[in-house]
Amino acid sequence: MDVQVLLFATLRERAGRQRSIQVNLPDGATVADLKQAIRQAYPALQASLATVIVSVNHEFAFDPDVLPPDPEVALFPPVSGG
Amino acid sequence: MEYPTILSVTDSELDLNLLLAGITLPSSGAAAIFTGMVRGVTARGEAHATLYLEYEAYVPMAEAKMQQVADEIRQRWPTVEGIAIVQRVGRLYPCTPTVLVACTASHRDTGVFDAARYGIDRLKQIVPVWKKEVGPDGEEWIEGDYLPKPEV
Repeated sequence: MDVQVLLFATLRERAGRQRSIQVNLPDGATVADLKQAIRQAYPALQASLATVIVSVNHEFAFDPDVLPPDPEVALFPPVSGG
Repeated sequence: MEYPTILSVTDSELDLNLLLAGITLPSSGAAAIFTGMVRGVTARGEAHATLYLEYEAYVPMAEAKMQQVADEIRQRWPTVEGIAIVQRVGRLYPCTPTVLVACTASHRDTGVFDAARYGIDRLKQIVPVWKKEVGPDGEEWIEGDYLPKPEV
Protein backbone atom coordinates (compact mmCIF):
# COMPACT_ATOMS: atom_id res chain seq x y z
CA MET A 1 0.00 0.00 0.00
CA ASP A 2 1.07 3.60 -0.62
CA VAL A 3 1.13 5.53 2.62
CA GLN A 4 1.19 9.30 2.72
CA VAL A 5 3.18 10.57 5.70
CA LEU A 6 2.52 14.09 7.00
CA LEU A 7 5.58 16.00 8.25
CA PHE A 8 5.70 18.79 10.80
CA ALA A 9 8.24 21.28 12.18
CA THR A 10 11.88 20.18 11.78
CA LEU A 11 10.88 17.02 9.89
CA ARG A 12 9.20 19.08 7.19
CA GLU A 13 12.12 21.49 6.89
CA ARG A 14 14.63 18.65 6.62
CA ALA A 15 12.57 17.04 3.86
CA GLY A 16 12.96 20.16 1.72
CA ARG A 17 9.80 21.76 3.18
CA GLN A 18 7.53 19.07 1.79
CA ARG A 19 4.31 18.81 3.79
CA SER A 20 4.13 15.09 3.14
CA ILE A 21 6.06 12.21 1.62
CA GLN A 22 4.88 8.92 0.19
CA VAL A 23 6.22 5.47 1.00
CA ASN A 24 5.21 2.08 -0.30
CA LEU A 25 4.80 -0.64 2.30
CA PRO A 26 3.54 -4.21 2.23
CA ASP A 27 0.19 -4.90 3.92
CA GLY A 28 0.75 -5.73 7.58
CA ALA A 29 3.76 -3.40 7.82
CA THR A 30 4.60 -2.00 11.25
CA VAL A 31 5.67 1.43 12.42
CA ALA A 32 9.25 0.09 12.55
CA ASP A 33 8.93 -0.95 8.87
CA LEU A 34 7.65 2.52 8.04
CA LYS A 35 10.66 4.16 9.71
CA GLN A 36 13.02 1.80 7.90
CA ALA A 37 11.43 2.64 4.54
CA ILE A 38 11.74 6.39 5.27
CA ARG A 39 15.35 5.94 6.39
CA GLN A 40 16.19 4.42 3.00
CA ALA A 41 14.15 6.73 0.77
CA TYR A 42 14.82 10.00 2.61
CA PRO A 43 18.39 10.09 3.97
CA ALA A 44 17.83 13.73 4.99
CA LEU A 45 15.39 12.52 7.65
CA GLN A 46 17.71 9.87 9.06
CA ALA A 47 19.07 11.99 11.90
CA SER A 48 15.55 12.92 13.00
CA LEU A 49 14.29 9.36 13.21
CA ALA A 50 16.00 8.56 16.52
CA THR A 51 13.64 10.79 18.52
CA VAL A 52 10.78 11.10 16.03
CA ILE A 53 7.19 10.65 17.18
CA VAL A 54 4.86 8.71 14.91
CA SER A 55 1.09 9.07 14.98
CA VAL A 56 -1.46 6.88 13.26
CA ASN A 57 -5.04 8.14 13.01
CA HIS A 58 -4.25 10.89 15.57
CA GLU A 59 -2.90 8.48 18.21
CA PHE A 60 0.74 7.94 19.18
CA ALA A 61 2.08 4.79 17.53
CA PHE A 62 5.07 2.63 18.42
CA ASP A 63 7.49 0.36 16.56
CA PRO A 64 5.59 -2.95 16.93
CA ASP A 65 2.19 -1.45 15.94
CA VAL A 66 0.78 -2.73 12.66
CA LEU A 67 -0.50 0.01 10.31
CA PRO A 68 -4.24 -0.28 9.66
CA PRO A 69 -5.63 0.07 6.11
CA ASP A 70 -5.67 3.67 4.82
CA PRO A 71 -3.91 5.13 7.84
CA GLU A 72 -3.38 8.85 8.44
CA VAL A 73 0.28 8.83 9.42
CA ALA A 74 2.34 11.76 10.70
CA LEU A 75 5.96 12.18 11.77
CA PHE A 76 7.04 14.96 14.09
CA PRO A 77 9.58 15.95 16.76
CA PRO A 78 8.72 16.15 20.48
CA VAL A 79 6.01 18.79 20.86
CA SER A 80 6.67 22.32 22.12
CA GLY A 81 3.30 24.05 22.33
CA GLY A 82 1.99 26.30 25.02
CA MET B 1 -26.18 19.37 33.44
CA GLU B 2 -23.50 18.91 30.80
CA TYR B 3 -20.36 20.79 31.77
CA PRO B 4 -18.92 23.05 29.04
CA THR B 5 -15.64 22.08 27.38
CA ILE B 6 -14.03 24.48 24.91
CA LEU B 7 -11.13 23.04 22.87
CA SER B 8 -9.57 24.73 19.90
CA VAL B 9 -6.56 25.63 17.82
CA THR B 10 -7.01 29.10 16.40
CA ASP B 11 -5.12 31.74 14.46
CA SER B 12 -7.20 34.49 16.05
CA GLU B 13 -6.50 36.57 19.13
CA LEU B 14 -7.43 34.83 22.41
CA ASP B 15 -10.37 36.57 24.06
CA LEU B 16 -9.78 35.61 27.69
CA ASN B 17 -13.03 37.17 28.94
CA LEU B 18 -15.13 35.41 26.33
CA LEU B 19 -13.47 32.06 27.06
CA LEU B 20 -14.03 32.52 30.79
CA ALA B 21 -17.68 33.37 30.20
CA GLY B 22 -17.99 30.20 28.11
CA ILE B 23 -16.97 27.94 31.01
CA THR B 24 -18.78 29.77 33.82
CA LEU B 25 -22.00 28.16 35.08
CA PRO B 26 -24.47 29.53 37.63
CA SER B 27 -22.87 27.06 40.09
CA SER B 28 -19.30 28.27 39.38
CA GLY B 29 -17.61 30.42 42.00
CA ALA B 30 -13.96 29.99 41.10
CA ALA B 31 -11.81 29.86 38.01
CA ALA B 32 -8.11 29.07 37.67
CA ILE B 33 -6.89 30.59 34.43
CA PHE B 34 -3.45 29.90 33.06
CA THR B 35 -2.28 31.81 30.06
CA GLY B 36 1.16 31.82 28.53
CA MET B 37 2.55 34.62 26.42
CA VAL B 38 5.55 35.17 24.19
CA ARG B 39 8.52 36.18 26.35
CA GLY B 40 10.59 38.81 24.59
CA VAL B 41 13.47 38.77 27.08
CA THR B 42 14.68 35.55 28.67
CA ALA B 43 16.95 35.74 31.72
CA ARG B 44 16.82 32.13 32.94
CA GLY B 45 19.41 29.78 31.42
CA GLU B 46 21.01 31.18 28.30
CA ALA B 47 19.87 34.82 28.34
CA HIS B 48 18.51 35.93 24.98
CA ALA B 49 15.96 38.11 23.21
CA THR B 50 13.05 36.88 21.09
CA LEU B 51 11.56 38.83 18.19
CA TYR B 52 8.64 36.47 17.64
CA LEU B 53 7.54 32.83 17.75
CA GLU B 54 6.07 30.98 14.81
CA TYR B 55 3.61 28.30 15.96
CA GLU B 56 2.26 25.43 13.93
CA ALA B 57 -0.08 22.60 14.85
CA TYR B 58 -1.28 19.28 13.51
CA VAL B 59 -4.81 20.50 14.02
CA PRO B 60 -7.03 17.38 14.00
CA MET B 61 -4.67 15.48 16.29
CA ALA B 62 -4.17 18.55 18.51
CA GLU B 63 -7.93 18.76 19.01
CA ALA B 64 -8.11 15.02 19.78
CA LYS B 65 -5.29 15.33 22.32
CA MET B 66 -6.90 18.41 23.92
CA GLN B 67 -9.99 16.25 24.40
CA GLN B 68 -7.78 13.64 26.09
CA VAL B 69 -6.34 16.30 28.41
CA ALA B 70 -9.86 17.48 29.30
CA ASP B 71 -10.96 13.88 29.95
CA GLU B 72 -7.95 13.31 32.20
CA ILE B 73 -8.73 16.50 34.16
CA ARG B 74 -12.34 15.40 34.68
CA GLN B 75 -11.21 11.95 35.86
CA ARG B 76 -8.80 13.40 38.40
CA TRP B 77 -10.89 16.38 39.56
CA PRO B 78 -14.58 15.48 39.21
CA THR B 79 -15.38 18.80 40.92
CA VAL B 80 -14.17 20.75 37.87
CA GLU B 81 -17.12 22.29 36.01
CA GLY B 82 -15.98 24.04 32.81
CA ILE B 83 -12.72 23.49 30.94
CA ALA B 84 -11.19 25.65 28.20
CA ILE B 85 -8.02 24.63 26.35
CA VAL B 86 -7.08 26.92 23.47
CA GLN B 87 -3.81 27.19 21.55
CA ARG B 88 -3.14 30.08 19.21
CA VAL B 89 -0.92 29.44 16.17
CA GLY B 90 0.83 31.63 13.60
CA ARG B 91 3.40 34.37 14.13
CA LEU B 92 3.11 35.74 17.67
CA TYR B 93 5.04 38.65 19.13
CA PRO B 94 6.22 39.32 22.71
CA CYS B 95 3.52 39.99 25.31
CA THR B 96 0.89 38.18 23.20
CA PRO B 97 -1.06 35.37 24.89
CA THR B 98 -0.44 32.11 23.02
CA VAL B 99 -2.34 29.55 25.07
CA LEU B 100 -5.12 29.40 27.63
CA VAL B 101 -5.99 26.57 30.00
CA ALA B 102 -8.80 27.42 32.39
CA CYS B 103 -10.98 25.41 34.77
CA THR B 104 -13.98 26.50 36.77
CA ALA B 105 -15.43 24.96 39.92
CA SER B 106 -17.88 25.84 42.67
CA HIS B 107 -15.14 26.91 45.11
CA ARG B 108 -11.41 27.60 44.98
CA ASP B 109 -10.49 24.77 47.41
CA THR B 110 -11.75 22.02 45.08
CA GLY B 111 -8.48 21.34 43.29
CA VAL B 112 -9.22 23.82 40.52
CA PHE B 113 -5.70 25.35 40.66
CA ASP B 114 -4.12 21.89 40.35
CA ALA B 115 -6.49 21.00 37.52
CA ALA B 116 -5.44 23.99 35.41
CA ARG B 117 -1.77 23.34 36.20
CA TYR B 118 -2.17 19.71 35.13
CA GLY B 119 -3.88 20.86 31.93
CA ILE B 120 -1.03 23.11 30.76
CA ASP B 121 1.60 20.52 31.74
CA ARG B 122 -0.19 17.79 29.74
CA LEU B 123 -0.76 20.10 26.78
CA LYS B 124 2.99 20.67 26.63
CA GLN B 125 3.54 16.89 26.64
CA ILE B 126 1.00 15.48 24.22
CA VAL B 127 -0.70 18.15 22.09
CA PRO B 128 1.08 18.31 18.70
CA VAL B 129 2.06 21.97 18.44
CA TRP B 130 5.56 23.29 17.70
CA LYS B 131 7.19 26.69 17.76
CA LYS B 132 10.13 28.22 15.99
CA GLU B 133 11.86 31.00 17.88
CA VAL B 134 13.15 33.93 15.85
CA GLY B 135 15.68 36.25 17.50
CA PRO B 136 18.14 38.93 16.43
CA ASP B 137 20.74 36.25 15.61
CA GLY B 138 18.63 33.75 13.71
CA GLU B 139 15.91 31.17 14.17
CA GLU B 140 15.63 27.87 15.97
CA TRP B 141 12.91 25.24 16.31
CA ILE B 142 12.08 24.54 19.94
CA GLU B 143 11.66 20.85 20.74
CA GLY B 144 10.13 19.43 23.88
CA ASP B 145 11.61 16.53 25.82
CA TYR B 146 8.56 14.32 26.31
CA LEU B 147 8.43 11.06 24.37
CA PRO B 148 5.13 9.18 24.61
CA LYS B 149 5.35 5.57 25.76
CA PRO B 150 3.09 2.68 24.78
CA GLU B 151 0.25 2.15 27.26
CA VAL B 152 0.90 -0.95 29.32
